[in-house]
Amino acid sequence: MPATPINVSAANEAVLHLAATDAATANSAVDALVVPGMQDITINNSTGVFRFKTLDSTAESAVTTPATNQLSLNCIVDSTAFFGTATGADDDAKENGLFGVSKNKTKVYFNVYFDGTDTGSKFLSGSGYVSGLAPTVNMDSPVWVTPVTIEVDGDFTQHDVPA
Amino acid sequence: MAFRDTLKANLDVALASTSVGVSAELPFSSAGEPLYSKNMKFVYLDEDNINKSLLFTTLDNSDVTETTTTVTGYLAVDAKTQPTDIDTITSAIINSRFAISGQTTRECAMTTDIEADVLIYTFNFNFITV
Repeated sequence: MPATPINVSAANEAVLHLAATDAATANSAVDALVVPGMQDITINNSTGVFRFKTLDSTAESAVTTPATNQLSLNCIVDSTAFFGTATGADDDAKENGLFGVSKNKTKVYFNVYFDGTDTGSKFLSGSGYVSGLAPTVNMDSPVWVTPVTIEVDGDFTQHDVPA
Repeated sequence: MAFRDTLKANLDVALASTSVGVSAELPFSSAGEPLYSKNMKFVYLDEDNINKSLLFTTLDNSDVTETTTTVTGYLAVDAKTQPTDIDTITSAIINSRFAISGQTTRECAMTTDIEADVLIYTFNFNFITV
């Protein structure tokens, strides 16, 4: 069976929504913080492995242990997304920005869309904490860029965007 | 304002008390000979050449582009008897790159070439911004 690649050449196919209020808020592009200017994004679902040997086998046996889940990405620092809208009525992630939710250790709910946000598109959701911000700039690349890590609290959940 | 215009305005002042002048004309060829060879001791500046290249590509197409602008300047002098203030002149031309603001890179490379009894200085200005 030929592979069916998920092509993100068109804009806004790989998309990340963050919300501090609840998972439902993360579903709304209007209410959530839509992280702009992402250069790349990586989803880590790394299970641990417990290996054991038995006297009746010539090879080790293995079982997997609970996974360490993490989202990591690099993005261009957008002033509003990084420092927030400072609008009290907004969701806290949008209001305080990436820097705010990292500094305040605010739990965020996230949706990572694989092929856009249209009906039927696949996405993973979960919750976690923003970490690993390290904005950097230099005269050869005079635009601020930063890595962002979301340390996932618990599991990823797979969804299709509902109609 | 084109970088060429800014450089010329700066050189008009910087070279005012030297033995060379600045031409407002482009360094085109007349009867097969470049103007700067015909009119020695005048600095000629070519038009801006602009190149836009991608600095960062992003997944939402909010790409960041880098703009590189190059301007070439020419000055021809008599190779046998160079102006006594030629060091001051070349220094002023090279330093005119600082007249262009808002650039992360402001470079100028000077090369020389001798054709018959004419010494031709070529100044390659290179400016980069985002």
